[in-house]
Amino acid sequence: MGLISSIDRVMHNPQPLDRVDDILRPAGDNPIVQRGWATTSVDALMNWARTGSMWPMTFGLACCAVEMMHAGAARLDLDRYGVIFRPSPRQSDVMIVAGTLVNKMAPALRKVYDQMPDPKWVISMGSCANGGGYYHYSYSVVRGCDRIVPVDIYVPGCPPTAEALIHGILQLQKKIRRTHTIAR
Amino acid sequence: MSDTQTNSLAERLVARFGEVLGKVETVRGETTIEVAPSDLMQVATALRDEPDFDFSELIDVCGVDYLGYGQNEWETTSVSGAGFSRGVHGEATGRFDWEGRPRNVEMERRFASVVHLLSIRHNRRLRVRTFCEDDALPLVPSLVGLWPVANWFERESFDLYGIVYDGHPDLRRILTDYGFVGRPFRKDFPLIGNVEMRYDPDKKRVVYEPVTSVVPRVLVPRVIRDDVDLQQAKAEAADHWQEN
Repeated sequence: MGLISSIDRVMHNPQPLDRVDDILRPAGDNPIVQRGWATTSVDALMNWARTGSMWPMTFGLACCAVEMMHAGAARLDLDRYGVIFRPSPRQSDVMIVAGTLVNKMAPALRKVYDQMPDPKWVISMGSCANGGGYYHYSYSVVRGCDRIVPVDIYVPGCPPTAEALIHGILQLQKKIRRTHTIAR
Repeated sequence: MSDTQTNSLAERLVARFGEVLGKVETVRGETTIEVAPSDLMQVATALRDEPDFDFSELIDVCGVDYLGYGQNEWETTSVSGAGFSRGVHGEATGRFDWEGRPRNVEMERRFASVVHLLSIRHNRRLRVRTFCEDDALPLVPSLVGLWPVANWFERESFDLYGIVYDGHPDLRRILTDYGFVGRPFRKDFPLIGNVEMRYDPDKKRVVYEPVTSVVPRVLVPRVIRDDVDLQQAKAEAADHWQEN
């Protein structure tokens, strides 16, 4: 009873509760280490699995990609969140559109998005991807990548810092935890 | 910039080519010559091969559109503390109607192709400007045969200005979108373009549509005259190059 509700509250948590997932706790407090088993709902388990290994499709288009590299490199280390950049859309859950999306690139972006398996999410990173940004009035730039693909999280900035991108990824984790695949 | 020869580059150019050069000027130590398209190959070959010049390296080829050159509705003589409007209303190049379209008044010819050359042996640079004879079909001989590096530069100039390089081995668009219509760097091309794109869920592909989401803006930066740099440039232009 207490265990199920506590896991469920953590998993479907729209507000921060200052709590970590039970299975991430130190040994004395961890139900799996203590008892060797835990009970939970299928929804909570699926969301835990999905948020724990979000593999982004590498889609660096401009200077935002450099900040995305910083987020993945040693100092901020996205591997800690199970975020590992993939070179192939077939292995990806998340696409981070990092940079200016030009008209010439838009069909390729859509094709890569279509090639990703469901469920899939999109993070739009930086002013250019959010709404065209500096190039909003240009003849060759798409005024926001949401004209091409559905976007889940918008990260503002020009370019956003690596910390801002990580914040966006954590926000996306929260958004995924709110979804109910089985229970409706 | 050190010069290995005693007399200046401009003097040597005039002595070698004479009447072929339309205009020779040296501003701030940079020498520019003007050559007619029909003479360009002859002059360029001599500039590359003769030991006096030895311009072995081509740095850049670029196009210029002189439409509306010297005219500027944004021109102002004072700095505004309150800032300037975004120029949505009114007329300017790039957001004109047919009657108010910009016309070529200052310059005799509209398009030019500009080549920058470097002589590594003499540590000298030279700018060669070629005005195209026909505004409707700007035609310039290609320099790919002399400097192979000109290949993509000329494709870029062709793509953005529509200047046709005669003798180019592979003259096609290089930067703009597949199937793009228009020459985007021409002054009469609207900044916002003619089409914008979105994903069509019914057709399951990206589609092009006429631009509706934005209105045209001024595409030239505001020019503030009479600042120190321009006064300096004017003073230098008043001096004759041969006396420098």
